[in-house]
Amino acid sequence: MAREKIYQEEVFPSPFMQLWLIFRKTPTAMIGFVCFLFLIFLAAFAPFLAPYSPVEGHLDMVLLPPAWHENGNVSFLLGTDELGRDMLSRLMYGASLTFGLSFVVVIISLIIGVIIGSLSALTKGIKSSFLNHFLDVILSIPSLLLAIVIVAILGPGISNTVWAIVMVLIPQFIHITRYAVKEEFRKDYVLASRLDGASNFRVLYYSVFPNIVERLMSQATLAQSAAILDIATLGFLGIGAQIPLPEWGAILANGLERFYIAPWTVYLPGLSILFAVVATNLVGEGIRHALKLRKES
Amino acid sequence: MLIFTLRRLNLFIFTMLVLTLLSFSLSFLFPGDPVINLSGQLNSTEQQLAVINQSYRMQDNIIWQYFAYIQHIIQGDFGLSMSSQSPVIDEIMILLPATIELSLVALLIAMFTGIPLGFIAAIKHNKTSDNIILSVAMFGYSIPVFWLGLLAILFFSIGLGWLPSAGRISLLFEIEMVTGIQFFDILMSNSPDKWQAFQDATAHIILPACVVALAPATIFVRLARASMIEVLETSYIRAVKAKGLSFQQIIFRHALRNALIKIIRHVGLQFANLVTIAMVTEVIFSWPGIGRWLIESIYQRDYTAIQSGLLVLSCFIFIVHILTDFIYAALNPLARGNKHGS
Repeated sequence: MAREKIYQEEVFPSPFMQLWLIFRKTPTAMIGFVCFLFLIFLAAFAPFLAPYSPVEGHLDMVLLPPAWHENGNVSFLLGTDELGRDMLSRLMYGASLTFGLSFVVVIISLIIGVIIGSLSALTKGIKSSFLNHFLDVILSIPSLLLAIVIVAILGPGISNTVWAIVMVLIPQFIHITRYAVKEEFRKDYVLASRLDGASNFRVLYYSVFPNIVERLMSQATLAQSAAILDIATLGFLGIGAQIPLPEWGAILANGLERFYIAPWTVYLPGLSILFAVVATNLVGEGIRHALKLRKES
Repeated sequence: MLIFTLRRLNLFIFTMLVLTLLSFSLSFLFPGDPVINLSGQLNSTEQQLAVINQSYRMQDNIIWQYFAYIQHIIQGDFGLSMSSQSPVIDEIMILLPATIELSLVALLIAMFTGIPLGFIAAIKHNKTSDNIILSVAMFGYSIPVFWLGLLAILFFSIGLGWLPSAGRISLLFEIEMVTGIQFFDILMSNSPDKWQAFQDATAHIILPACVVALAPATIFVRLARASMIEVLETSYIRAVKAKGLSFQQIIFRHALRNALIKIIRHVGLQFANLVTIAMVTEVIFSWPGIGRWLIESIYQRDYTAIQSGLLVLSCFIFIVHILTDFIYAALNPLARGNKHGS
């Protein structure tokens, strides 16, 4: 075999690249990843891709079943709801609300949680113990209950739901960051860079973060699947997204009255939520699997 | 064990302080007057209002107000519900047992299906049945619970007509409420058709409890699988294998007990998750529990109810949490030492 490398030195892939190389080999994880990218694409470009507006009613085409049904119409691929709104367009716009917002929510709470978590990992003694107990209390309250209380303070609406879920997710990120940073700080390479005279911040930024970023990503996928379910649940209960926003949970709640005559208005949004959560979980599962394999190798 | 108990007690007191502080501060965060949010007295006269102000010490600084609030809570006075103008504590005493009943039945179902499946998956590690169980678990974990509830109603109640779709028991039966837990009440009552009532109550709880149990069961599958795999890789299992014990002996006498202990610890942590799911399920199955009541009180802007509901429900979860900690410590001597606040 011809040597492609002229120089003898070998380039070792970074921890992150190693993870990607293992991740790439798991087919289910890759399927999940492709679905995940598709959903992000859909969330970003729904207004350009959707055939109709999500709120525009076609009153001559009310409660049309999906196109494969014998009464279906191919120009409304997934049928219409009771006001003649195209289900496909509503679901596409819904992707940017339910999935897109959950993505934003996770990123906001990730940033805030990681900052607070890494700062708190550097504290010791009573301050640290107090924070630990406080986090335990917050984590023992059911997330939905906390979200409901926050919505009760701020009032219903999709933007308030987003803040509520951000608040619910932050403690989880603080917890995991704190734990991971503390664990890394005990290792020798941190000691080495300390002996070189690095400040706490420098150790954190250049030594610790590159080593915990995958663990944070795996937590982020868990948080995202929880966020999708929470946004949809609050929308379903009528305290999240308000009418006529095409949020998946809200579409489902809207179709509930006509469940028996028009079951597709309930099946389709439910399937979309399931699809989004499964895609997210597959990615998360893939990351965790790759992390485990990397540790073993 | 004494030090362990004291530590837990300390944690419990701290938690109660934080929770009451949280619910106390809610009265200022909710729209409207804090005293009215605390007491729920909407239609009181000037004199009555003055008395309420006095009892919550509103003229003093905020620390005294907080103590006055705690005093009220200890006496069991959570104020009046804003929507029904009846004491919140009475409503909670009726509703909370229904939620406890539902979540405990669901927890049992989840444990008795999830843990054995997880063990099977671990024993068949990396084989087809392991993969099948894992992928089913993944789906169970991802299904939105309200959708699952609706599908279950459509399939089992409307389609097949096997099980009732709403409520706790048929209205034909008149059961006197003593403990609030329906099954105990039925067994204690001396009504002639006790067994029909019992069957009816069982038929009512199966569907919602199974819907609630699905997601926690999948989590138990994963936990059980992980802990069993871990145990099977230890050297004492290799030692008994070398001794020539049969497969059943290895699993049932040695591996099972050690794997179970690790799962018990997570039961408490899963309980918060389970109650969240139960809250949504109560709405769908019209189960007269505290979750449905809380969600309705949001529509009615019943701030007193939300505040006390939050307090009571999180206290309940925390107590379960601590109880499982105790059971874990009683079973596993290794867990009694060390570790603050974990």
